[in-house]
Amino acid sequence: MSPTAALIKAALNSNFGWSAVRHRLLVQKRDRWMVPLIALAVVSVVPTLVLYVRLLSAGFDMLQSLGQEKAMLTLAVLSGQLIILIFGLFYLIATFYFSRDLEYLLALPLKPSQIMLSKFSVVLVNEYLTIAPIILPLLIVYGVKRRAGLGYWLVMPLSYLLLPVIPLTVAGIAVVGMMRLVNVGRKKDLLIILGSLVLIAAAFFLQFGLSRAAGTSGPDPQKIISLIASPDGLVQSIGRRFPPAIWATRFLHNGLFTGTGLAGFALFAGVSTLLFGVLMAGGQRLFFGGLVGLSERSGGGRRSKAGRIFRFSSGPHPIKAIFLRELRLMNRTPIFLLNGVLGVIMVPFLFALMPSSGRPGDDRTDIMRLMTAAKPATAVLVITLFMVICATLSGVASSSFSREGRKFWISKVIPVDYRRQVLAKFLHSMAIAMLGLGSATAVVLFRLHAEAGKWLPGLALALPVTAFLTSLNLAVDLARPLLDWISPQKAMKQNLNVLIAMLLDLGFLFLYGLAFIKLGKSGLGLTPVLGTMGALGLALAGAGYALLTRFALRRYPAIEA
Amino acid sequence: MIEILHVSKSYNKGAVRAVDDLTLTVPPGEIFGFLGPNGAGKTTTIKMIVGILKPDGGTIRIGGLDNRLEALRTKAMTAYVPDEPEIYERLKGIEYLNFIGDVYGVSASDRRSRVARWLDAFELSRAAGDPIQTYSHGMRQKIILTAALMVKPRVLVLDEPMVGLDPRSSHLLKEALRAHCDEGGTLFFSTHIMEVAERLCDRIGIIHKGRLAAFGTMAELQAQAKDKASLENIFLELTEK
Repeated sequence: MSPTAALIKAALNSNFGWSAVRHRLLVQKRDRWMVPLIALAVVSVVPTLVLYVRLLSAGFDMLQSLGQEKAMLTLAVLSGQLIILIFGLFYLIATFYFSRDLEYLLALPLKPSQIMLSKFSVVLVNEYLTIAPIILPLLIVYGVKRRAGLGYWLVMPLSYLLLPVIPLTVAGIAVVGMMRLVNVGRKKDLLIILGSLVLIAAAFFLQFGLSRAAGTSGPDPQKIISLIASPDGLVQSIGRRFPPAIWATRFLHNGLFTGTGLAGFALFAGVSTLLFGVLMAGGQRLFFGGLVGLSERSGGGRRSKAGRIFRFSSGPHPIKAIFLRELRLMNRTPIFLLNGVLGVIMVPFLFALMPSSGRPGDDRTDIMRLMTAAKPATAVLVITLFMVICATLSGVASSSFSREGRKFWISKVIPVDYRRQVLAKFLHSMAIAMLGLGSATAVVLFRLHAEAGKWLPGLALALPVTAFLTSLNLAVDLARPLLDWISPQKAMKQNLNVLIAMLLDLGFLFLYGLAFIKLGKSGLGLTPVLGTMGALGLALAGAGYALLTRFALRRYPAIEA
Repeated sequence: MIEILHVSKSYNKGAVRAVDDLTLTVPPGEIFGFLGPNGAGKTTTIKMIVGILKPDGGTIRIGGLDNRLEALRTKAMTAYVPDEPEIYERLKGIEYLNFIGDVYGVSASDRRSRVARWLDAFELSRAAGDPIQTYSHGMRQKIILTAALMVKPRVLVLDEPMVGLDPRSSHLLKEALRAHCDEGGTLFFSTHIMEVAERLCDRIGIIHKGRLAAFGTMAELQAQAKDKASLENIFLELTEK
């Protein structure tokens, strides 16, 4: 096996833990309970998938009636590539520059491009998995509804395999360049965070630009007629600021054995190859510069002045000490900060930044007004759910124990009651959730212009539900903490616990919403409904925290770090 | 001070027996050296003493208290230094020391004097204000040792503490450990360096394939062995099977 192939194989194995999983399941005979749980999680996704496929099917019928069904392919390619561009940035920064195995790889007789290629492969496979539930149904529905021939079914997998290459290589070139630029001086972490924010902002502005190009900024009857009149009208409109989507549409729709199809494929594959070549060539020159600079810190550098007077804490405050530890570790690890803290602040604001004018008369603002006027209870429920989602879906609580990684031994040996340790973690997770709540409240207030009579009860209901879900998410991670990770990204966004917790949270919120609606329909007035739901939230928050601490007493001693 | 009574631990659902019915006692004031080849069960034993691993069977007492039933009290009288200096890299050295001081309840004045003493001894004073991620392996080892010595526990449990230390720091550490035991403290440490064990330890235990192959003072070990020339010879003789 060539060194490059061996490296790629080892990187994929190490990232996805196939050998480790096989060993745990077949040799150690541990974690077998996970198999039915994962099967259950997969089965539970089926109803949502069926709903999605029905929606796509209806969408296809509608587009077909206008003679614009090709636009579905353009949308599939475009949305898949935008998802990859934004999420790929996080993955690439973490995998290229913050994997623990890099210091060993640097010492091996390997070219920078070989190391980068192995890391790129890991991200690429991750992206295939990430976009699969969104893009594959779209491509399959299109093929089935159009009764596509063998040609389509042969080209479709190829297009799926090529789909992430352009956005990932573009993101990769940006990341490698950014890391080389910021890897100077003493404030590297700060520069990495700022650089990442600039890249993410650029990706979002690109998305908004493309959304506008797709004509989402406002209906214009004249424009719509001219779009529909041309068979490629909608395709051209959606894809004109991102031509690869048009190329992919052509070779998927027309097949490879037509002039336009072949030209589309040649362009799509050619640009993918070209960008990949640029990334590898750029990596060969810049990758080690960005990477070695990071590890140079372990060489010492300039030390603090001698005779410096250190501040010592005034006395023993174990909970405060653990809370501060959590805060510092999260805020000082760029990947944790970007995924966790900045995530909860950014998500609501991204909602706010979505392309619409925000003026009265704008569609989204009007929908909120109409909803608020007709059914105030519904408005409160929507605001509550929005706030809770913004506060809890960051993965901060559901990766709280995993983030400790190989340092978990410290939590096991310190003489601090496990209840107090969990309290400190709960307070830290809640502090981050509060940032999300604050950010969501600002959006509800200033973007949706909700009245105090709606957002205040929404916030009051969201607080205890957030506390309950924080306990639940902590318990999920405590049940099976992922302590042996090589990249901080694995401790957060690629942590199965985060996904499990997210599914549980969404399931709970669905039930909470149902309960709210049932109560509303039972004839009770708004105030008793809010009171009941508030009391339910408080009871759940109290019970959830009590159960979490009981679970911690049982679970902590069993975790062998 | 440390009593290990019929302790066993296995991995892979019993397929690998890491520690097999181990029994030994380390009284107050004693330096106990725990030797054994790689994979013999040293680190597993140490991790069970400090509560990181749960034994499958048997009891471990520290200061007369069961370390599972009275976990908080036994932890409060124990400080542990692991074989790999895995600590919070994103904290500064002084922040790590303050964190340990806070959770062990070391007063600010004790902290100030002890930290100053050990940072100075290990030549870490200039680096203490810097993030731990900028430290070398040896410096990380020293900051963990400084934290352990700052706590001034009754029981010190150290897993290969000399690895990564320069000769001067190693010498200072040995002096500190002797002083700790002279004041009535207990030291349980593992090492692969036979000379250190031979010179420093009051008693030595050699573990092999999870079982205690030899236990006693240097003179007692020599009496048990055919080749009495050095601890290294005794070790090789006992662990070659």
